[in-house]
Formats: sequence, structure tokens, C-alpha cells
Amino acid sequence: MEFHPLPQPDEIAEREKEDAMGAYLMMFAAVAVGLPLPIINLIAAIVYYYVNRKKSRFIHFHCLQSLLSQIPTTLINWVVVIWAVRIFLTDLTLNETFWAAVVFAGASTFLYFIVSIIAAYKARQGKMYYFLFFGKIAYEVAYRVKPEDENPSEPINKPPF
Amino acid sequence: MRSSTLRDLLILLAIGAVLFAGGYFLVRQIGKSDIDLSYEVSIKQEEQLGDLFKDMIENKYTTIKDNKADSALQQITQRLIKALDSTKYRYEFTLLRSEEINAFTIPGANIYVFSGLMQLAETPEEVAAVLAHEIGHAEKRHVVSKMMKELSITAIVSVLSGGDPSVLTQVLKEIIGTSFDRKQEEEADVFALELLEKAGIAPKSLGRFFERLNEKDLDYNKNLEILMTHPHNDKRIEQSRRYKTKNDFKPVPFDMDWKKVQESL
Repeated sequence: MEFHPLPQPDEIAEREKEDAMGAYLMMFAAVAVGLPLPIINLIAAIVYYYVNRKKSRFIHFHCLQSLLSQIPTTLINWVVVIWAVRIFLTDLTLNETFWAAVVFAGASTFLYFIVSIIAAYKARQGKMYYFLFFGKIAYEVAYRVKPEDENPSEPINKPPF
Repeated sequence: MRSSTLRDLLILLAIGAVLFAGGYFLVRQIGKSDIDLSYEVSIKQEEQLGDLFKDMIENKYTTIKDNKADSALQQITQRLIKALDSTKYRYEFTLLRSEEINAFTIPGANIYVFSGLMQLAETPEEVAAVLAHEIGHAEKRHVVSKMMKELSITAIVSVLSGGDPSVLTQVLKEIIGTSFDRKQEEEADVFALELLEKAGIAPKSLGRFFERLNEKDLDYNKNLEILMTHPHNDKRIEQSRRYKTKNDFKPVPFDMDWKKVQESL
């Protein structure tokens, strides 16, 4: 498997760095808007990804890493919210496992926030920052050399002569 | 998937497992510290507190003594106390004249029953079920635990040292007026179901009493705070219905004319 070379910080335009940083920072605002239903952040990340992924591989990588890494925390938070609603509606017991899940969701989200802030800072500097697992997947998707990169398709717009 | 990516995934799952286990441990520790609060007050101190409150309650309400209803209550409670394997307390049950449908426990295992509750119950077994639940609160030291949560140890010491009567009134208000938490209610329910079986009383009686309250559409918070912390009692009724007694369990009915007992109130 071949990969495109990684751009160095001085080769990346300021605008690209800002867009890459935005992938992480946008999530904070979306989380605040989406509380107590932790879904808006994921929707916002998907939209941000599709709008920005074609701009450059550097932006593609950071957007995808931000999007993928939000999935587990969003799922965990959803499980806790649904569990809490069920307890409220059906008189289930507020047992130790539920409270452990609340602590777990809180701690995971906190950890995720911390690494996202670091990633946003690095992206602004034009640096790569790899999350565990999601960093490698995002790198593979964004930087792998695809067949269409080697054999570009026939251009649609052609000069008149 | 590359081996290093797979390794990352395993590390991530391990971090998740550690966080969850940590959360579980933390919650258990907090839970334990809640229970331990009750051990800051000894049984002797609890009995002292109970004596102080007894006077106040008996000044506020009229007690019903030496009549059919009182002897019925004593007959019911004797059966329950005999069925207790062991206890640190000397139980005392008192019948109070009031239309309120309530029963409550004060420190030192002093349990009070309002005549309104005896009127609502259709059988002595239902009264026994409510009392078994109250005994559960006493045995599990929920009353002291609740007191420790609501009030400071300083307030309790002040009461014990014969202090300010206003503090005493406040403490009593907390005991009678505030609910136990749901976990404590569940513990008392489980205790009651087991005690009823040991005493030869059908454990289903507890659920039947809850059902009667539902049928009457009573305002739980107003009328039976001690028993009801949550309006959804269906689970508690279901728990009582599903309680499995031993195969050879045969309920022994109380030898009393319940209608006449109620008429004497």
C-alpha cells in the first residue's frame, strides 16, 4: 500500500491549518448546543467532513479523525441518556452499574475533550496528531494512493485548441 | 487491518474497561460511605434519641391503648418479632389516632401506626406487611442513615445532650416528613417479604396493600411518605407477587375478627 507524502508545516497554507483546527473546535460548540442529547456534535462533524474533505489531504485527515473519534463517546453518552430516560419512565432501579456508566461516560468525554484540544492546537501548527486507532484509520483513508490518483480520469474542461 | 491498528484498538478497549471498572469502584465506595454513616450513632444513642421523640409524638397524637385494635396490633407484631432471627433492638409498636394512612419508624425501633392505615387494610396480613417493611427500615438502620444525611452529627449530639427543643422538633420533622431513598425502600421491601414468609404470612400481602393504595388513588406523598418515595409502585407490586416462597410454605391466618377490630377504632 502506497501513501502520499506528508506535507510539512511550512508547506501548508494558513487557511488549511485553520480548517483542520476547525474540525475539532466545531465539536465543542456542537456538544454545547446538543446537550442533553449528544447527537448534534456527530451530525455537525459529518457535515463538516463532507464540506471540507476535498480541500486537501491534511484537512481530510483531521476532519475524518475528528468524526471517527466522536462515534464511541457519542454512543456511550446515548446509552446513558436512554438508560436514564428508561429509569425515569419505567421505574427501573438507579443501580451501581448505571452510576458507573455515568462516571464512565463523563470520564471518556473528558478524555476525548483533552485529546481534541491537543489535536486542534497541533492542526493549527500544521502538524499531524494521531489519536489511538482512529488516527491510523484516518491516515489510511486520507493519504493512501488510490488508483484514480495515478490514472487521473479524462478532464471534463478542456482548452479550446 | 494492520497489526499496529489492531493493537491500538485493543489499547483503546483496555482504557475503556479500566475507566468503567474505575467508575464502578468509585460508585461502590460512595455507596459504602453512605451506609457507614449510620454507624456513627450507636444503638444506645439511637434508643436515647427514640425516647426523646416518643414523648413528643405521644404529646402530639392520641395513643390508642387497651382496646381491640391495640391488642390486634400487638398480636400481629409479636408474630413478626418472633420470626426475626436476631435483633439488637427492643421493638415497641404504638397505635395513634389519626385518619392519615401512615406508619413510621423513629430511632430505637419505635414504630408508630396510624388508625387510618388499620382502617384501609382489608386484612391483618396487610398491616403485618407494612409493619414488616418498617421493621426492615429499623433493622437496616435506614432511619439513622437518613438522619445522618439530612442533619449534621453536631445536631444529633446536641439533641442527645438534652439540647435545644427546636433542634429536636426539626430532627423529628426530618424523620417523619422526609422519604427514604429508593434503594432503602427496596431493601426494606425485600426484608419484609422474607420476614413475612418466616412469620407464616403470605408475602403477597405487601403487594396487595400497595394495590389498595393505587385503587384508592391516594396521594402517596401526602399520605404515606414513609412507604412511597416514588409514584410508580408497579414494580414493587410485581416484586411482591413474584416472590417465591418455599414449597412447603403455608400461610397461617390471624385468629381475629378484622371487621370488629376496625369497628373498635
